[in-house]
Parts: sequence; C-alpha cells; structure tokens
Amino acid sequence: MKLLAITNRLYLISIGAVILISSLAAFFILRSTINNEFNRKLFAEKEQIIDEFKVNASLREGQLLNVGDKIKIMPIDEGTVIEDQLVDTAYYEPYEDETLPFRELTFTEKINGINYKITISKPLVPNMDLISGIGQIMIGMGCLIILVVLLINKVILRKLWAPFEYLLDHLKTFDITSPRRIQQEDYTFDSKVDEFRQLNQVLNDMIKQSIKDYNSLKEFTENTSHEIQTPLAIIRNKAESLLQENLSKEQLEDIGKIYEAAGRLSRLKTGLSLISRIDNNQYIKKESINLKAVIENKLEDFEELIAIKNLRLKITYYGEPELELNSELTSILITNLINNAIKHNIKDGLINIVLKDVELLIENTGTPPVIPTEQMFDRFQKTGDTPESTGLGLSLVKKIVEHFNLRVKYIYEKDLHKLYLTFDHLSKKTAIK
Amino acid sequence: MNILLIEDEISLAETTLKYLEKEGYHCEWAKNLEEASEKAWLYSYDCLIVDITLPDGSGLDIIKKLKERKSRSGIIIVSARNAVQDRISGLEIGADDYIIKPFDLSELNARVKAIIRRRNFDAQNEIIFDKIVINPYDHQVAVNGEALTLTKKEFDLLLYFISNPNRLITKESIAEHLWGDEMDMADSYDFIYSHLKNLRKKISAKGGGDYIQTIYGIGYKFVKPS
Repeated sequence: MKLLAITNRLYLISIGAVILISSLAAFFILRSTINNEFNRKLFAEKEQIIDEFKVNASLREGQLLNVGDKIKIMPIDEGTVIEDQLVDTAYYEPYEDETLPFRELTFTEKINGINYKITISKPLVPNMDLISGIGQIMIGMGCLIILVVLLINKVILRKLWAPFEYLLDHLKTFDITSPRRIQQEDYTFDSKVDEFRQLNQVLNDMIKQSIKDYNSLKEFTENTSHEIQTPLAIIRNKAESLLQENLSKEQLEDIGKIYEAAGRLSRLKTGLSLISRIDNNQYIKKESINLKAVIENKLEDFEELIAIKNLRLKITYYGEPELELNSELTSILITNLINNAIKHNIKDGLINIVLKDVELLIENTGTPPVIPTEQMFDRFQKTGDTPESTGLGLSLVKKIVEHFNLRVKYIYEKDLHKLYLTFDHLSKKTAIK
Repeated sequence: MNILLIEDEISLAETTLKYLEKEGYHCEWAKNLEEASEKAWLYSYDCLIVDITLPDGSGLDIIKKLKERKSRSGIIIVSARNAVQDRISGLEIGADDYIIKPFDLSELNARVKAIIRRRNFDAQNEIIFDKIVINPYDHQVAVNGEALTLTKKEFDLLLYFISNPNRLITKESIAEHLWGDEMDMADSYDFIYSHLKNLRKKISAKGGGDYIQTIYGIGYKFVKPS
C-alpha cells in the first residue's frame, strides 16, 4: 500500500471519528440545554399564568396567553390535585396544516376558591430545527476538513517526500557492477527534513563503502589469481624435475602427489579466474553462434570418452538456433554440460541430447543425486566419486547462464538427470522447422 | 642448438634451464626485456622461449624486433591462460607456437624439438629411437622397417614419448598434451591407458618389444627395452 493511501486512510478514519463524536456530543449537549431552557420557560409561564389569573379572573378557558402557546384552563372537582405533569405530545396545527410536536405542562391550582386544571402547550418545532441545522453544519464542516487534509497530505507527500522518492528510485536501479552513484552533487537536497538528509548521508556512505569493498574484492581476486600462477608453475616444474631423479618408490609417489596437487590448484585457479572475469564483464564480444555446430564440435572431442564408457548417444535436432553469445563462453558452457553428462554417467549408460529453437535438453543416466538438485549449481558442490574434479563445473555453467540471461533447470526423474537450458528470448532464427 | 629463455622468475628459469641442458641444448637466460634485446641482438639462437609479461615490458617487442631483422629463430610464447589476446597477437607477428603457464617441462621440450625439427627440415627428417623410426611430417611410423598404422592420438602419444625419452612423463602431462586442458583430468586417464595398451600391442606385434614403463601410478617412461 502506498504511503499516501495509508496516511489518507488514517486521516479519514480519525477525522470521521472526531466529527461523529463531536456531533453526537453537540447534539446531546444542545438538546439537554434546550430542554432545560424549555422546561424552565414552561414553569415560568405557569407562575405567570397563576399570577395573572389571580389578578384577572376573566381569563378563562380557551384563552391564549401568548401566540403559539396554547393555554387550557378548566375548573375541576375540588378534590383533584395534579402535581406538575410534563408530557410531550402532538397537535394538528390548522394554520400550518401539519401535526407539530408540543410540550405540555399540566397542573391544578386553586384560584379564588375554585379548583382549576391548567395545561400549557408549547410548540417544540424551532428547537428541532436548530438541532438539525447544527447537524448539517457539522457534517459540512467535517467534509471540508477532510478535503483540505487530503489535499495538504498530497502536497506534503509530493513536495516533502520527493527526496525520499528520488533515493528510492536510485536504490532500485543500483547495480554494484556498474555503480551510478547516489551523490550529493547529483541531487542537491533542498529538503529541510533532517531525517532525509541523514538517510541520504547514510546511504551514500554505505554505497561508497560497498563499492569500495566490491572493487577491492575484485582486485584481490584478480591479483591472487595472477600472482598464484608463478609459484604454481615453480612447484609443478620442480616436482616434475624431481620425478626424473633416481628416488625410492615412496619418494616418487610423494612428489607425484605434490605435482598432481599443483595441477589441481592450477585448474581451480583457472576456473575461479574465469568466473571472476565473467563477473567483471570481460566477455563483452558477442557474435552469432550456431548452437548445433558447437554441440557437434564438442561431441567430437568427447567421442573417445563416450566410447570408453560405452555410452549410448542419441541426438535429436528439432531446430538450429542462432544465438548472440560470446564464443569462448559458449564453448566452455557446452563442454561443461556434455562433460557433466559423461562424467556422472554409468557404464553402458545413455546420453540424450535434444536441441530445439528455444531449448537444449541434455539428459543422462547416472546414480541418483546425493545433494538437493537446487544446490547443484553452487560452487564446490561435488559428489564423492570424482576427487579430481574441482567442483566448479556447474557453478561455471550457472555463471555463464546468468551472464547471457539464459535459464537453466536441473531435475532428476525416472532415473534420468535432466538439464534444460532455455534461451527462448535469444533465439533469432531457425533453419530447420 | 642454442636456446634463449626469457623469463623473469628465477626459480622457474632455473628448472627450465636445467631440464633443457640435460636434453643437450646450449641455453642462455635473460631475465628482462633489456637483457633479452641485448642477447638477441648479439647472438643467433635456434629457439627463443619468450614470457610475454616481463617486468620492463612485453615480450612481444622482442618478437617484433627479431622479425624485423628477418631472423629465422623459432619462437615459443609463454603466456598466462587468460591472456588470449597476447597469444593471438604473438602468433600474428610471427611466433611459431605458444605454451600456457604453468606448463610441463616435457611439454615445453616436445614443442622446442618440434620447432627445431621444422627449422631444420632440410636436414634429417626422421626421428629414430631404437627400432622405431618416426617421420613427423607425413605421420609415418615404422618398427623394424615395417609400417605401423596408428590413430592420430596414438601417433601424438608416441611422438610425445620419443621427444622425451628416458624421462618420467606424468599422466597429467600426457592428458594435457593430447586433449588440452578443457577435458576433465580424471576421465582422460582412462583414455591414456587404453591408447597406451593399443600402442604397446601394435609396437610389439612388429617385434618392437615393450618400450613403455609404468611408474607407480604417477606416469610413464619411454625406454629401450632391456
């Protein structure tokens, strides 16, 4: 939910509640004040009537004391005594042609020896009108307040939060491999908001630091892989020379192990520096590559290996996709995939390669995976049966796949390892349909 | 045969020089571009082994200078694995071959021999080892005068062995020589074994005896059968 929507909703709810409560309170307070006032007026009239009646006995029943107030005076039995009785009632008002609410005060009074029942009826109408008028004003005012608040809120969000939106936009598009820096010189913060200025500062510091870390890591990887080369070559060559000496079996075996380990380290180094070069975008050169040709070429290299393991190789071409890729990386990718299908295969097993316009499937027989299939592409994941491998093969595949925005999926079903390489968005044209 | 090794790393140069001298070459060593230029100017070498990254410049400069002087020296570039561009430019300006660091001395030796053979092709073409005669140009092999039919890999393997006789050649080195480094090492050992088996069989079928010794699972040695 957007910030504007959330604040608007909160404002609406709280202003609505305040107006409702205050209108109700105003209504009740006003009603009770008016009521009290009304009753006081009625009792005052009662006193007035009694006084006037005492002075002027000619005031008899049916007379009106005041326009609008009805007074009924009726002589009644000596023994009847009515205490002051207040009743709300309604009468038909012929002049206004409607039934209107009245409040009546009924009482008995002995005047000049005669017992009278007197009723004063006072119309309530003006008071009701007042209350409804007040209600209308409250509602109108409420609407106006809400409108103004929403408007202010919108303006505040647009103006006051602009720096925030700006930072957010920058962060969304931030890519450490090609940092477009969020710098103060890029955006002069006219925001008077301390918090935003602090946020900007903190973000800038963080980004600067991470760019620095990223670069130094990159540099370190590059340097290490370069510097490791010479000592490795020395170890390897010295070991190789020692192997020529007339040494005992044990010594030769030990030196053989040193030699072998140096070789492994050297291959590992090659793999890691390849990954770091992909990370550093050092394979920019792209060309149109016929995947079918690459696969056929690589299969030729692996011919012997396939023969020695007595593997059955089945290839089906449903298409001949031409992809915009880097040739060196494509070669590494396909080599790794085929190599993988052979290496983790069983004797007399099967390799099935299916190439379509948008997808390459390589499936092979093999022992069931011992690590979860989704971890297969992590660095240094290897199964125990191949101590010689560097464990970098599939993570290299993943790196290359990511580099070209391809997709790779690995599943194991029906005793088959299936590796799907999808390139639907890269495929330009096809020769075979 | 005179060889000039241009290499800035002393330990590496030492081992390489020792190995090549044992092979009967006369070797000299230059540790930087300046020394190398001087030596290359003063003397004539049959083969130069040039490390491209030198402390005071690029080894490519030496190659350019030699080629300007129309030198007939064979040139092998030594480059880092990822320096593909250096390799390409080196070959373009006239280097004969390249080798990737870190390399096996037996591999370097085989390449030096190949270059020297190519340079002296007007002289003795054939390589003779005991009863085996190899003609590296038309890929012919004969044992006791009888022609041997070998696959390409078997031929490469035999030539590699004969270029490094009486030396322990590791499995890794053979694998890299035959298949390059793209292939997984562990798998290629199986091939080596099967190729060697076939090679042995073919040679002994012509009465050649067993030349290939297996050394404790480390590698192989090509020796005259006793």
